[in-house]
Amino acid sequence: MEYKGGQLALGHVELTLPEHGIYTIIGPSGSGKSTLLRAIAGLLPSYTGELLFNGKSVHAKETLIGLVPQNYGLLPWKTVQANIGIAMKISHPEGLHKQEQEVQIKHWLTSMGIAELAGRYPLSLSGGQQQRVAIARAFAILPTILLLDEPFSALDAITRETLQELFLDNWLANPATTLFVTHDVEEAILLGQKVIIMPSNKEEMPEIVDNHSVFQMKHEHKRDSDEFFEQTKAIRKVMQEKW
Amino acid sequence: MVNIRRFHHLARLLLVFLCMNVVWYIAYLLMNHPILPSPLAVYNAMAHLEAKDLWLNISYSLFRIFAGVIIALIVGLLIGLLMGRSQVWNKLLDPVVYLTYPVPKIALLPVVMLFFGLGEVSKILMIMLILLFQVIISVRDGVKAIPDSTYDVLTSIGASTAQKFWNVMLPGALSVILSTIRISLGTAISVLFFTEIYGTEHGMGFFIMDAWLRLDYPEMYAGIMLFSLVGFVLFLLVDVLDYKFMKWRN
Repeated sequence: MEYKGGQLALGHVELTLPEHGIYTIIGPSGSGKSTLLRAIAGLLPSYTGELLFNGKSVHAKETLIGLVPQNYGLLPWKTVQANIGIAMKISHPEGLHKQEQEVQIKHWLTSMGIAELAGRYPLSLSGGQQQRVAIARAFAILPTILLLDEPFSALDAITRETLQELFLDNWLANPATTLFVTHDVEEAILLGQKVIIMPSNKEEMPEIVDNHSVFQMKHEHKRDSDEFFEQTKAIRKVMQEKW
Repeated sequence: MVNIRRFHHLARLLLVFLCMNVVWYIAYLLMNHPILPSPLAVYNAMAHLEAKDLWLNISYSLFRIFAGVIIALIVGLLIGLLMGRSQVWNKLLDPVVYLTYPVPKIALLPVVMLFFGLGEVSKILMIMLILLFQVIISVRDGVKAIPDSTYDVLTSIGASTAQKFWNVMLPGALSVILSTIRISLGTAISVLFFTEIYGTEHGMGFFIMDAWLRLDYPEMYAGIMLFSLVGFVLFLLVDVLDYKFMKWRN
């Protein structure tokens, strides 16, 4: 897939990934990882190449995309509940009953641990709370593809760890095909089944590192395990070669 | 807490109103001339106005203001959105707006009356003209100020243009629209007064001028005060809308 915006923002990339997996994408700034995500989300006016999901274009009607941008992307003039509600309504026009929708919203807010914030406006929330809302919204539309663009990079370390675990728990309960862009090696290893390393040189292909050994562990054990340590070393080595 | 603050606010307003009346009364005593009646005489005249007749006048004025404001909002919103979202339209319409904006709209009153007669159309049109350009400019700037990323999530789930309008553009631009209405409402009311001097037998402007011509000064002052009251209520209305739709800012 190629995209040109005066300069090449993202070079030739070919990736084939199994469905229902979670893949973390890591790469230096300017390697085009956000561009890839924006292209899949349908936010780029033009690019050349093909983006297929199950043999059909990702922009086809039946492919629903749940996007979690770095800046949360909440509408400040809508309450938390209304933010999730409007996304559900637009993505599923046939719609649920109002009460049914409210039950659903409550369910997703509860699973993100913020049920009490339903009536609040985004500007009155902390960054971590806003990102919880954004993730709840992405899950609530029951997406076929989930895209996260450095969702936790603006948050402090403790909030980030809490949210990583919360996100993974929710994902395991609702495993949509997920692309998770990050610039943090640890985060990539903690969350991904496979880690995709984008090269800084746009001519080269991205490197895919299998991360199954760490992914199958319980989340709280991951950080202290030997596998995690080994994986970090392996990925850093690839990074040194590619960047 | 809120009630106490509201009570204080109300008490302050009443106190100021009372003081203004005292100043007025002193001026009346000093002048001692029929062109400035005492406040008591004016309130007395106000109490003796025929309610039905008064309501008719107020309703006519309100109808003209509302019609003018609503038409200006609809037309201004469409043009402003077009200019805010499309480079081409902005480049095309920007010079038009900037060239016509400084034209004193009140000076167009005779022109509008020549073209549209002395009836309702020219009165509503005048109010619309006063508001239109300010609405266009504020909507355009308001829509431009919404960051592109605000649309991203809705775009990615396939929102239509109409859905983006109702959920992003309109609420995003609403705060500037409301402040524009608040500012231009004062001008609109003044213009209404001028237009109601001609070709009508209803409306607050007519009522005041009619009392003036009959040399019934207490009634004239009563009309001015009622006209101001109408303006005050309209201001409050904008405040209520602001409170209702702008909760998210705090």
